Amino acid sequence: MQNVLNGIPLWWYLVVSSALFCIGLYGTLARKNAIALLMGVELMLNAANINLLAFWRYLAPDTAGGLAFAAFVLVVAAAEAAVGLALVISVYRTTRSIDPETLDQMKL
Amino acid sequence: MTVQQVLFIVISLVVLGAALFVVTTRNLFRAALMMMLAFFGIAGLFVLLEIGLFAVAQVLIYIGAISILVIFAVMLTRGMQGMVPRNSQAIGAAVTAAIIFAVLLLILGPLRVTIDLARWPVISLFAGNASPREVGGIAWTPADRAIPPVPETYIADFGRALVDLNQYLLPFLLIAFLVDVVLAGAIFIARQRRPAEVIEERRLRAEEDAEEAEAMRRASASPALPEGAVASAVDH
Repeated sequence: MQNVLNGIPLWWYLVVSSALFCIGLYGTLARKNAIALLMGVELMLNAANINLLAFWRYLAPDTAGGLAFAAFVLVVAAAEAAVGLALVISVYRTTRSIDPETLDQMKL
Repeated sequence: MTVQQVLFIVISLVVLGAALFVVTTRNLFRAALMMMLAFFGIAGLFVLLEIGLFAVAQVLIYIGAISILVIFAVMLTRGMQGMVPRNSQAIGAAVTAAIIFAVLLLILGPLRVTIDLARWPVISLFAGNASPREVGGIAWTPADRAIPPVPETYIADFGRALVDLNQYLLPFLLIAFLVDVVLAGAIFIARQRRPAEVIEERRLRAEEDAEEAEAMRRASASPALPEGAVASAVDH
C-alpha cells in the first residue's frame, strides 16, 4: 500500500473506520436501551462513510461516485434516526419501557 | 512525522475513545454528548481528507440534527436512565466485534492478507478475469503514482452528477422520496394521540381481552367437566 496523502497512508483510515465500526457493532448488540442501540447504528454508518470518502480521495478523486454514495449514507442515517426515535418514543408511551429484550408483544 | 500525521492520530484517538464511552456508559445523556464529540472528530478526519463539503455536512446533519434528535429522545424517555447498560448477550457481542475487527485488520492493515479470488473454486467463475482496476469502469490511482489533488470544482461536479440522468439522478430522486415518506411516517408514529382516542382504544382492548379470557375458559372447561360443572362455573 503505497497510497500516501500528506504522509497519511490509506490503511490508517481503514483501520480507524473498522475500529469505529466494531465499537458501533458492540453497542448495537450489547446495549439494553433502544436509544443507545440507535447510537451504535449511527457510529457504524459513520465508519462506513469514512471508508467511502477515504477510498474516493485516495483512489478516484476525479469522479463523483464516492461523494454521491457518502451523501446517500448521510441521508439514510438521518431518516433512520427520525423513524427509529419516533418508534422508541411511541413504544415508551405505550409500555413505559424501551429495553429491547422486554419488547416481545409481537412474538408468537 | 508531519503535522497531518500527528493531527490524524490525535483525532482518531479522540473519536475512538468517545465511541467507546458511548457504548459503555450508564448515563445516556453523556453518551449522546460523547457521540457529538465523535461526530466532530470524524468531521476533522474529513478535513484531513481535503473534503470540506462533507466536513460541513457532517457538522450540520450529524451534530446539528441527529444528535439533537437523540438528545430529545433521551429526555422524553426519562425513566429509562441509569439502568444496567449491558444486556445478557454482552460477552458474545464483544467477542463478535473483536473477531470482526481482527478479520478487517488482516484484510486492510499493513500486513495485508491478499485473497486471490481467481484461485477459489466457485468464485473464480465470476472474478477470474476482472482485475480490481477495471471494476466499475473507474480509473484508480495506481499505487506508485502521486495522488492527484481534489479538483477545484468538485462540489459543482458532484452536484451535476446527482442530477445527471446517466449517473445518479434515479438514486437521488429515490432518496428524496424516501426522506418524504420517512418524515411523514415519523410524525404519524410519534404523534400525541387525543385522549378520547386513547380511551376508546383501551375500552376496545379491554373488551377483546375479556372475550378472549371467556373463550379460553370455555375451551379448557368444556371437554373435561360434565355439563353441570360447566353451568356452575359460568354462574360464578
